[in-house]
Amino acid sequence: MQLEPDTSSASRTTWLDPSAWDILILSTVIKVLLFPAYRSTDFEVHRNWLAITHSLPISQWYYDTTSEWTLDYPPFFAYFEKILSIPASFVDPKIVDLNNLNYDSWSVILYQRTTVIVTELVLGAVLLKFIRGAVDPPTQRIISASLFLHPGFLIIDHIHFQYNGFMFGILLWSILMARNGSKLASGILFAVLLNFKHIYMYLAPAYFVYLLRSFCLSPSGRIEIKNFLALANAVIAVFIASLAPFALMGQIQQLLSRLFPFTRGLNHAYWAPNAWALVTAVDRVLLKYAKSTGTDFHINLAGVASTSRGLVGDTVFAVLPNVKPLHTFTITLALQSIILIKLWFHPTYKSFLTALTLCGYSSYLFGWHVHEKAVLLILIPLSLLAAERHAYFRTFVIATVAGIFSLFPLLFTPAESNIGVLYSILWFALLYLPLSKRVYEFPKSLSYVILDVLEKTYLGGFVFLQIFVAAFPVVASWNSRRDESHNSENSMEFLPLMVTSVYCAVGMVWGFMRLIFIYLHEDTAYQGQLSTIQ
Amino acid sequence: MGRRWIRWSHKRGMRSSVVAFIFLASVFLKLCFGIGSYSGENTPPMYGDYEAQRHWMEITVHLPIHQWYSYDLQYWGLDYPPLTAYVSWICGFVANLINPTWVALDSSRGIETDSSKFFMRVSVVVFDALIYIPAVLIFSRTWFGARSKRTQDLAFLLLILFPALFLVDFGHFQYNSIMLGFTIMALNFFATEHDLLGAVSFVLSLGFKQMALYYAPAIGSYLVAKCILSGPTDGGRLFIRLGFVTVATFMSLFLPWIPPFSASPTLIIDPISRIFPFARGLFEDKVANFWCASNVIIKWKKWAAQEMLVKAAAILTFLGFLPSVIVMGKVAWDLKVWNKSPEQKLVETKDDPKPEESSSHTPILPLLPYALLNSSMSFFLFSFQVHEKTILLPLMPLMLLFSGATPGSEVYQWGALGSNVAVFSMWPLLQKDGLSLPYFALVFLWNRVVGYDPIGIIYTAFPFKSFVHLMSAGVYAAIIFLHFSEQIISPPDRYPDLFPVLNVLVSTPVFVCLWLWSIKCCVQVSWALTGPSGFEEADGQPQHRKHLSIAVNDASQMRTSFVAKSDRTRAVSLGPAQGKRVRRSSTRSAAGTGSSTALPSSSSVFRGTIDSSVMEGRAAASPK
Repeated sequence: MQLEPDTSSASRTTWLDPSAWDILILSTVIKVLLFPAYRSTDFEVHRNWLAITHSLPISQWYYDTTSEWTLDYPPFFAYFEKILSIPASFVDPKIVDLNNLNYDSWSVILYQRTTVIVTELVLGAVLLKFIRGAVDPPTQRIISASLFLHPGFLIIDHIHFQYNGFMFGILLWSILMARNGSKLASGILFAVLLNFKHIYMYLAPAYFVYLLRSFCLSPSGRIEIKNFLALANAVIAVFIASLAPFALMGQIQQLLSRLFPFTRGLNHAYWAPNAWALVTAVDRVLLKYAKSTGTDFHINLAGVASTSRGLVGDTVFAVLPNVKPLHTFTITLALQSIILIKLWFHPTYKSFLTALTLCGYSSYLFGWHVHEKAVLLILIPLSLLAAERHAYFRTFVIATVAGIFSLFPLLFTPAESNIGVLYSILWFALLYLPLSKRVYEFPKSLSYVILDVLEKTYLGGFVFLQIFVAAFPVVASWNSRRDESHNSENSMEFLPLMVTSVYCAVGMVWGFMRLIFIYLHEDTAYQGQLSTIQ
Repeated sequence: MGRRWIRWSHKRGMRSSVVAFIFLASVFLKLCFGIGSYSGENTPPMYGDYEAQRHWMEITVHLPIHQWYSYDLQYWGLDYPPLTAYVSWICGFVANLINPTWVALDSSRGIETDSSKFFMRVSVVVFDALIYIPAVLIFSRTWFGARSKRTQDLAFLLLILFPALFLVDFGHFQYNSIMLGFTIMALNFFATEHDLLGAVSFVLSLGFKQMALYYAPAIGSYLVAKCILSGPTDGGRLFIRLGFVTVATFMSLFLPWIPPFSASPTLIIDPISRIFPFARGLFEDKVANFWCASNVIIKWKKWAAQEMLVKAAAILTFLGFLPSVIVMGKVAWDLKVWNKSPEQKLVETKDDPKPEESSSHTPILPLLPYALLNSSMSFFLFSFQVHEKTILLPLMPLMLLFSGATPGSEVYQWGALGSNVAVFSMWPLLQKDGLSLPYFALVFLWNRVVGYDPIGIIYTAFPFKSFVHLMSAGVYAAIIFLHFSEQIISPPDRYPDLFPVLNVLVSTPVFVCLWLWSIKCCVQVSWALTGPSGFEEADGQPQHRKHLSIAVNDASQMRTSFVAKSDRTRAVSLGPAQGKRVRRSSTRSAAGTGSSTALPSSSSVFRGTIDSSVMEGRAAASPK
């Protein structure tokens, strides 16, 4: 819990100072207590992958369909599962039995949950490294601690079940290397990360431009052949290590079809709070309006059917024109290219970090079939910028609150959802109070004051939203008991989810606009501590 | 870790929100515990304590009051006093509003849906937040009123993070925090001299669980001592008022069973016979008390008849708590101000720069936690029908003392040892409940939070430092050894209970030592309190003054005199502020200023300040 170096009792020889131990122990205890918590299907997905990689030859990995949860991560992750499956077979051979579907004995829970905690130590180690050599170590200490204890990891990794802590550890390692000037290592690590989970492609454009401009080209614009070849060869080597076995067996086609299934809809089952959630909501409202007033819109009947199915399944608009994958790609790329042009001319560390965040951000807001979990791609790099200036801090606060709130629907069992909410409140308060004092700036003009009030009102609204979401099922069950008939219950069932999604989407979009505005206008005077890093 | 964190948050300007953080964090941890298993989860047909509590909600909501203590007793009949029943009724009422199936009469038996479990867990957390947490917060503010805000916050944190209570209430599932909360509230009232409210509060504690009776000798003797202290007229009046209030509170708790509110006068027998089940055995399962531990050698149940054992238990218990009662009475008798001659009083006031009213503050208050520890521990060790969970009761006063102790002091070491061993003594129970993971997690976290390192203690056991250090080292080594060997070796067929018995044999000596230690502390505190009058008779005043001046003037040579040492011990355990003041005042008196009226009298609720001011006066007087 303690975030400042303890000079009195800390012996400098130990590799972890007492406060780091405190945080490690506290977080581990919490995670261990959450062992018996609710697990999503991702738990079984990962167990099945353990079984696949353990009991099948490598040629079968991407072909197996014993379980519906086929392997759809890149090869490094498959190798990672293969390594994890070896101890698992000693712990309990049933874990790696391919046909033992939905196995959920205490041994497998213990084992899989422990692997998440242990692999997350990568994240912890990298975050500690971030403190050493930081421009402002005490602040970086708070940010590092907050990242290690991030509610997103607690909710997604330790309750819902995934290995994001581990993979964001690699991402942050790569960013750390960029900060410390070893850009080659940064590039290699990112290539490795891409071969663990391809969702990080969202961030790839920023990496590409940054490394090309600052590593492969000299400041004057001349090409640095040596650097270029080193980077290109290293990245190619990483990809060969990952893909070669499958390429030799001629399975690349199959592998790609597993990794990129283009058969899904615009929105995920629960709308991730992005631009499409807002558009979808507008469509639903227009449809209601059209129905009630009888205004003559051209109504797409498939879309009407789509609304009655609530949130599950493909989204088809009833009133607005439909969105195709091509549209989403065009919008995303257009936005990213604006950011990347700026990055090209300002290839500093901080600019790279902001561009990285914005790349992830634009993919999240406008991408096709985005998962709500992808919000971590924004929140984690953005956290590193949190203490820069008041403007960054504000953006960070809005995006973080909206982003984390949008993860709450992942936990729908009563105990877990309340734990998630409470943890997030505590985490946020412990982060907000010390940082807000550090970065406070007096508002420059009336418009800033108005903006400030509006943003605070928006943030305050989350309290009421949470109350609404929590009270809705209870009230609904009262009502259904009162009139015994189940007329309108089904269509209203998804209302809290829709409201959550739309309200969070407003914050996410606003945060994006803020950040892109800051980024494009940042040229003058003092811009925060990270600007000193080239 | 707790200390570090509180310092950090104070530095970062979060001083005002520390309490809120601690509270929220504790609620979070409690809910995390709530995810885990509980007593009797998924074990039909009888389930466990969880089902008992839920069942009581069910019967209190659906049945008329006179059936509460008589309905289907075979299935978890209500066997706690009426306040438990009322609390169950409140919970049941709310549950009935939210979802009637959770508490439907009979048909809801063994219900274990996600939402019902969550409701039950939340009900414990809510009552804990309503009673225990405010009590503890007020305790940290009144009893440590003379000490820094950081110390108070730390005490609050340590009292909230009471590991045994966590495991029993939020893991195993019970509502002990309500009973303990009422008792702590009573202590707060005593400290602020609201004795009548304190008595009411203690009766409520008794009315929630009869186990609070373990504290009754200490509380009773404290109140009687208070009466003695106040003199025949004031004291007598206080005594009558206390008696009246106590009886009235009891009566109002049992009101529905007493005519004219009940249909028949015999109805009162139902709750009484349910609450005091003398028909059960000497002890149940394996519990780390005298009877069960000695049972390894002497088979009590074969050797003596039930009635004999009941009597023996009663006598031993009585002898067990007698020392604290006697000490309490003696101190009160020695300190009584009302029968002193006017000259004596004059001398006293001249000697003691504190105004006369100061003695109206209860000088015997510092004795109370030790007396509580003594009496509850003697009940735990010697009385009849003790459960392993009952260790919570002796542990509570120990934790109160511990919460204000400086690391490394004697109280700190005993407190940490007591808490760790108490949790360990419940290990067989927790293991049965499926709470092994929370057990290890919490023990680990707690030791880290309080900055205590059992492993380090084992390493530094030699050379000999103190008895408690050596004992801790031995006990921790045994505990670690038992935990490991239990995983590796399965007990032989002849002794299936091998590990629980070994557990008892490790824990009991610690509890016995704690009991002896509590007696020693009672006596030492009494010396510290009555020092002057007690020694005047024996050694004459100058001698005694010499002792005290040693104690006061030379903090480094505390060990030169036993009295001095005991004074120092008290100073450390009940308030370092006291120790600090003594030292400060001693330097001041050595410098010849001799003035010691600078003490803030507002903070003198805490007896420590008065104490130190007495010493200060003496110290100032001694060089003359």
